[in-house]
Amino acid sequence: MSRIGVFVCWCGSNIAGTVDVEKVREEAAKIPGVVSALDYKYMCSDPGQNSLRNIIKEKNLTGIVLAACSPHMHENTFRKAAAKEGLNPYFVEIANIREQVSWVHEDKERATAKAVDLMKMMVEKVKRDRPIEDVRVPLNKKALVIGGGIAGIQAALDIANGGVEVILVEKEPSIGGRMIQLDETFPTLDCSSCIMTPKMVEANQHPNIKLYTYSEVEDISGYIGNFKVKIKKKARSVVEKDCTGCGECWNACPMHKNVKSEFNVNLSERTAIYVPFPQAVPLVPVLDRSVCLHFKKGGKCQKCYDACGPKCINFDLQDEIIEETVGAIVASTGYDLMDTSMYGEYGYGKYKDVISGLQFERLLSASGPTEGVIKRPSDGKTPQTIVFVQCVGSRDPEKGVPYCSKVCCMYTAKHAKLFAHKVHGSQSYVFYIDIRSTSKGYEEFVRGTMEQDGAIYLRGRVSKIYEDEGKLIVKGADTLSGNQVEIAADMVVLATGVIPKKGSDKLAQMLGISYDKYGFFTESHPKLRPAESSTAGIFLAGMAQGPRDIPESVVSGSAAASKILGLFSKNEYEVEGTIANVNEATCVACFYCQRVCAYNAISKKEIKDRSGKLIKVVANVNPGLCTGCGACVNACFSKSIDVKGFMDDQIYAEIKALAV
Amino acid sequence: MKTVINEQNRRNFAAQVESMLHDKLAKCYQCGKCSAGCPVNFEMDYTPNQIIKMTELGMEDKVLNSKTIWLCVSCNTCSTRCPKGFEVTGIMDVLREIAEKKGVTSKVEKEVQMFHEVFLDNVKSNGRIFELELVGKYKLKTRHLFRDMFLAPKMLEKGKLKMHGEKIADLNQIAKIFKDFE
Repeated sequence: MSRIGVFVCWCGSNIAGTVDVEKVREEAAKIPGVVSALDYKYMCSDPGQNSLRNIIKEKNLTGIVLAACSPHMHENTFRKAAAKEGLNPYFVEIANIREQVSWVHEDKERATAKAVDLMKMMVEKVKRDRPIEDVRVPLNKKALVIGGGIAGIQAALDIANGGVEVILVEKEPSIGGRMIQLDETFPTLDCSSCIMTPKMVEANQHPNIKLYTYSEVEDISGYIGNFKVKIKKKARSVVEKDCTGCGECWNACPMHKNVKSEFNVNLSERTAIYVPFPQAVPLVPVLDRSVCLHFKKGGKCQKCYDACGPKCINFDLQDEIIEETVGAIVASTGYDLMDTSMYGEYGYGKYKDVISGLQFERLLSASGPTEGVIKRPSDGKTPQTIVFVQCVGSRDPEKGVPYCSKVCCMYTAKHAKLFAHKVHGSQSYVFYIDIRSTSKGYEEFVRGTMEQDGAIYLRGRVSKIYEDEGKLIVKGADTLSGNQVEIAADMVVLATGVIPKKGSDKLAQMLGISYDKYGFFTESHPKLRPAESSTAGIFLAGMAQGPRDIPESVVSGSAAASKILGLFSKNEYEVEGTIANVNEATCVACFYCQRVCAYNAISKKEIKDRSGKLIKVVANVNPGLCTGCGACVNACFSKSIDVKGFMDDQIYAEIKALAV
Repeated sequence: MKTVINEQNRRNFAAQVESMLHDKLAKCYQCGKCSAGCPVNFEMDYTPNQIIKMTELGMEDKVLNSKTIWLCVSCNTCSTRCPKGFEVTGIMDVLREIAEKKGVTSKVEKEVQMFHEVFLDNVKSNGRIFELELVGKYKLKTRHLFRDMFLAPKMLEKGKLKMHGEKIADLNQIAKIFKDFE
């Protein structure tokens, strides 16, 4: 015989203002099986919880119904309170009479009637509740970090320093990401490579970090605590352990004029066998087979092999697949720049001296194609006047993306500042829509660019750029003075909008995490769970989540790391017990459930007799992946799947309670 | 209203203004607080903040021919309220002075400009205003001899028009101020 307690919460006036809580309590008391009914101003308060616990004890309750706010708010609170009195926490049911009643209705009488109905439904359900145990999943205490930019490196280092093994996978030949391409960083003008290379070296030498560069994640399966990862280590054609990084091979390579350097954003050329930049980690060259003469001309050229002292070049190396099992993953794949050649009016791609911000960054850098001397790509002359155009692609819902790329205001101010420092007597003009400089020291930095370094800011857009007698004529508007202006510039730098790294959407699909319509990974909660993805065990960091600057990327890397260390501080991971459950006796192995499952939680399970003979194949639910969404329940033709806590008899009883 | 920015001219003009103003044009935020509070801006062709921006961009012709610089009554509301402490009233003075020096005559605010000239002459020679002389010279210059004549008896009655002008004790100080501004 059930002994149910009903607790009606006023939530101050939130509920009591629209619902006659006393009436709900009186109606509850009339239901057979209800031995206690109470209304209280704030059930979630300490006295509220204490009275709940006392009544459980006194009346020896077998089930509890709370007519209160949404279960999203306080289900856990009341479950914990019940558990303290020895009641299985799944014998606590919530009738949501706030979000679903008092906040959305005005008529008190009818709202009260609805509240009574909801309460009755839950009483009928709780009578049929069965104890459910939470599922415990064992954890493989090893982490995978995808992407070796600043966010990924920070995450890897923090996890590794916490004593956990990390696998760091980077697609490019070296770690370092975008940050190592930058010259100096705002607002402190720290040299980017000076602060980045120590971290890269540390990641390479850390005993807890295993580094896979020039590698990609091929496949991921499994669930929190137990992800099976396949990593494709692309053929480098160089045996890493023997290579000394001496450089004889790339000096000997005959392909030194035709291949554009990705690292220098097409501003210089590289050889077929190359390291992207001098401080590359690891300092082991990669042979680009798509341009190498050895591979294109049937093995004739082997100049690099001949030049190599330790003979570590091996043309026969093949792609390697490495399999690892990890307990948690950080996705920090970073960003790309938009292609801005669709803005014909800016002439990017048409005029050599119209370049992107990242290209200007390489021109400023001492390791760049001009060794830090600012020279025009067209004729190598030092420009005297540069026009910077902000919001190229960003904040343009028609042709580009509607969001703000966040870093451009600051790096443009930095570019104008460094240009003034490097070329004395030069002049820069900046066209902007708004200036966004909100972090510590940022506003002062931008003002300094204007007031000390003399950059002229023009609030308005550029309408056209064209070449005339060796100058780039920039036509634009200055909306503040209400004038159309025309400036003869030597160079134009476009602050190109950022977009997610190419292929990050495919990775997201492989990982089973959600991403927005631009391809940025979405957080589990934008404010309160910013480091977690929508899938348990997978964490996010860096620009892959959306535009952010270096400090924010570092913070997000550390946040993901601390989440993983927290997760790994226990030996098992606890999952809510309300997950799908297969009746193996009636399952007909159609696997329609497998097809509708959005979480890849259903697999095939073979049932064998003692002699090992196969009796039948049935669906099997992976508790680590199942979220209890119920899609499989609807899909099952033979009614062989239920979600615990939402069984058919419970749902029917709820509906019947409404009928009377 | 297209303006071709000539880098050299822009620099020369901005530098001239800045050296007379003892302030930096780049200091201005373009927030518009000066224009918002200006009591005579409804008559202006450019708002004060536009004048500052156009000066920075070297739009000399437009600035020196504007009504704004002559309509400014130097009430200092703008300078008092400016969040960056920029000399907004000051820039109007500087621009008027440059216009005078370059012989730019305002097409629209001719009489204001004449008054400005007579007023400054008066201050230069007396160290203060001698009203009768000021009125006389202004009338000769504008050739509106009888305009506002009926105000004279009232002013005489209240002692606002003195028959003999007075000079201040140390005219050298005034001369120094004028010299500094050149």
